[in-house]
Amino acid sequence: MKIRVFSIEEFSVYDGPGIRTTVFLKGCPLNCNWCHSPEGKRFGNVSLRSPNRCLNCGRCIEICEYNRKKCIGCAKCVDVCPRDLIRMSAIDYEVSELVSKLLKNADILKINNGGITISGGEPLFQVDETLELVKCLKGKTHIALQTSGYGNSQKFKEIIDNIDLVLFDMKVMDEEQAKKFEGIDNSLIFKNLEILKNSKTKFIIRVPLIPGVIDTKENLKEIINKIKGAKDLVRVELLPYNKYAGSKYKLAGLKFEPMYDENMESNPHLDLFKANDIEVRVL
Amino acid sequence: MNERISKIYERLKKREYRNLRSDISFDDSLEYEKNNVPLPLRVSDRLKKMVELEKPIIFPEDHIGFMRTVKNIPDILTEKEKEELSKTYLLFDHALVANISSDYEYTISVGFNKRLAEIREKLKEKNTDKEEIELKAMEESILALYSLIEKYQKEAERADNKVLAIALKKIPYEGATNYYEAALFLRIINYTLWLNGNKHNTIGRFDQYMYKYYKHDIDLKIIDEEDALNITEELFISLNFDTDLYPGEQQGDNGQSLVLGGIKRDGTSAFNELTELCLRASLELKLIDPKINLRVDKNTDFKWFKLGTELTKVGLGFPQYSNDDVVIPALIKMGYKEEDARDYVVAACWEFIIPKYGMDIPNVEALAFPKCVDKAIHSKGFLSATTYEEVEKLVNKEIEKEIKRLIDKTRNIFLIPSPFQSILMKNCVENKKDISEGNKYNNFGLHGAGLSTAADSLAAIKRCVFEDKTVNKEELVKAIDNDYEGYEKLRKYLVSAPKMGNNDDFVDNIGCKLLDKFSEECSKYKNGRGGIFRAGTGSAMYYVWYSETLGATSDGRKAKESFSANYSPSLNRNFDGVLSVIKSFTKPDLTKTCNGGPLTLEFHDTLFRNQEGIDKVASLVKTFILLKGHQLQLNAVNRDVLLDAQKHPEDHKNLIVRVWGWSGYFNELDLAYQNHIIKRLEFLN
Ligand code: SF4
Ligand code: SF4
Repeated sequence: MKIRVFSIEEFSVYDGPGIRTTVFLKGCPLNCNWCHSPEGKRFGNVSLRSPNRCLNCGRCIEICEYNRKKCIGCAKCVDVCPRDLIRMSAIDYEVSELVSKLLKNADILKINNGGITISGGEPLFQVDETLELVKCLKGKTHIALQTSGYGNSQKFKEIIDNIDLVLFDMKVMDEEQAKKFEGIDNSLIFKNLEILKNSKTKFIIRVPLIPGVIDTKENLKEIINKIKGAKDLVRVELLPYNKYAGSKYKLAGLKFEPMYDENMESNPHLDLFKANDIEVRVL
Repeated sequence: MNERISKIYERLKKREYRNLRSDISFDDSLEYEKNNVPLPLRVSDRLKKMVELEKPIIFPEDHIGFMRTVKNIPDILTEKEKEELSKTYLLFDHALVANISSDYEYTISVGFNKRLAEIREKLKEKNTDKEEIELKAMEESILALYSLIEKYQKEAERADNKVLAIALKKIPYEGATNYYEAALFLRIINYTLWLNGNKHNTIGRFDQYMYKYYKHDIDLKIIDEEDALNITEELFISLNFDTDLYPGEQQGDNGQSLVLGGIKRDGTSAFNELTELCLRASLELKLIDPKINLRVDKNTDFKWFKLGTELTKVGLGFPQYSNDDVVIPALIKMGYKEEDARDYVVAACWEFIIPKYGMDIPNVEALAFPKCVDKAIHSKGFLSATTYEEVEKLVNKEIEKEIKRLIDKTRNIFLIPSPFQSILMKNCVENKKDISEGNKYNNFGLHGAGLSTAADSLAAIKRCVFEDKTVNKEELVKAIDNDYEGYEKLRKYLVSAPKMGNNDDFVDNIGCKLLDKFSEECSKYKNGRGGIFRAGTGSAMYYVWYSETLGATSDGRKAKESFSANYSPSLNRNFDGVLSVIKSFTKPDLTKTCNGGPLTLEFHDTLFRNQEGIDKVASLVKTFILLKGHQLQLNAVNRDVLLDAQKHPEDHKNLIVRVWGWSGYFNELDLAYQNHIIKRLEFLN
């Protein structure tokens, strides 16, 4: 079975315990307005061009059937850049091949109580492949899944039953607002959250503090209501908004158009979590 | 930092005091030559004259002080004399005694009066003319130092600086009895070494030789922890006063390395309260000197890795770690006595040397690995080679030739005598012999530059030419000679071959073999002082020098592109990540190539934003040690900041970066080095 990856990061520090390698799977059904990795959003394979050091020699435009105005992922331009600045946004691996790549530094992961984190995009977008990957990794290392919770519930259950930790995103709680900012119906996420709460797998709730959208008192209270008292909840991790969210759009030839005020500071409202006896950490 | 220290700190940062220096200079070399003055006496005479020209400046807040007011130190040899000497010797690095580590411990504890008496005692013996001259020059050097101190003491009295006025009546004549006196004493030695024309004056195991004074004061409640920090900070600041005058390849390359932790001569742990105090002082001061090295091993408490990482976070490129589990056995293998090996320190950049006893010259030349590969490819045998093993043999032959050439060139080195430095070493007074003629250890070191470029180049040949058989050798040579103009597709293909740093045995084993060959060849030779040649993984400035003259290489590197600095993966290539890099670079048996030269890892500064990030970086360092890496240096960097500094240097006056074995102010570096650092970071963002 082939699985589509957009990057692998060794020593990813904020994706679970210990020293970890994180694999980012391509494709995401959500369309979050603040997405900081647009190259992982679309499942399609396109060229990415890093602008540092570009000679403007034009070779990549010349060879492209579409003058780089659109991209069908033919990869022709990769080979012509004299500075090796162009790469494709996706790599397709056989699951077994990916497993050995992820585990090649397994000794380091082990002595540092770490493991592998499967992230995205949204891993549940390639749900069968993710399940296969999880089954292959099981027993060999500590496995964490980072997910928005949006995907097939039955398979989600099967996946989480086979892993050690889930990093579960919670974002916009209001249904209408979620449609506007994330482009989805969030009731599926809540359904899967219940499945997670009823499983025996430990989980961490992650909240990206998008200023004025997610970090409001009302929204955070809603989140707390949903997770309060869950027995396997390890803690909540808050991610302050990163002003560089838009920096990769140019690389992927896309436009970044935030519908919120980028310059506002995130407000973590730590007191809300503490009042409910929930351990919270700001990353 | 108390108010007094911050005053001194601000003064340093403004750098205005440097305008108070005079430009006067003298040159007596012709005079010396005419009168046939022996070299040791020329050096002591120059020190005397330098002292005469110095006009002490003492600020009310100084308790340590000592700033240069005369910039230039003249030569003692004439051009003609140098030419004459060059016929027999290599005048390496201006023929200066440099890059060794003094016996601060003894002199600080007994004082110079005792040393002077020892010298005078020796002068009474029946001596050869040479011994008489060398001892006399040592005596003269101490007298010159005394007249410097008298001047300072008078100025302190005039300026009504009571602390210094009192202290300088005792120090450095008598031994120090408390931490403050010891710090002042150390500064006086350090200042005088520079004034005496010595170079790369290392600080050594500060937390060892200063500990007894610290402990004495704390136990008797003479000072508390904060006082000790203030004294340490004032001393550290003073080591930066004149860094712009210290000679080096680039400003900042001045060798003031300080070594912390490790084990003692008896094998027990050497970490103590001063270790922590020094880390704290460096963290607060954020200055390029002294350069902090931390000795660790598999049993070192995790606390020290964490404290080290806190310092890394500041962005100075400190501390540099060395692994006692590798370095000590390596030194013993090279012939150092176990006790001395346990006492090792770090020379200017990363070379492992022995304090008090060593007159090693660990940086005489560098083997450029890619040059050997290039010569092999252009040798007759290459086109007719039918297996990769034949190519490997050709490369080995080039390594043999190149090492022989480097050794022939550097075997006999002449050093100008240094009577003042001699007093600060073991054996010199006793044996009536100047340090320039050698001491207990007289080994030379060769750096090894461009290892990963060479390993990658050979891996590409092995994979593309001999295994896939998709590239023919004639075409490859032609493409290289044309710097890949018109061969872009081929170049891409070569770039796609395995690269050292991805934990891929295919290429990593080639790197291991190259290093083994390097050490095996070095072991065949002795230098003119009876010492050995030590092979190492450092590059010094050679990664820029040699890469500029080398054409394209078969790993897909274009002509003139830099090698990586020291022991690191190639530039401009994509790597799987830092874990794979660590795995690749801990595969070789580094006890064989242990002259010094770290693996460098760069991390984006945002990684250190909270305790979790710091703890994980610390674990990664510990992992490197467990996997038997020898030396590691980490940088917390932000490329955008460096780019901005190039555009607006005025906004980044105090921006510090790591260059090759030392840290310096970004603005004071040549453009080539600035750009190399920026390039290193391109793959990080
Ligand atoms: S991969 Fe490159 S050449 Fe192919 S369509 Fe995309 S931009 Fe054009
Ligand atoms: S081929 Fe490479 S260097 Fe040339 S314009 Fe395209 S990206 Fe820039």
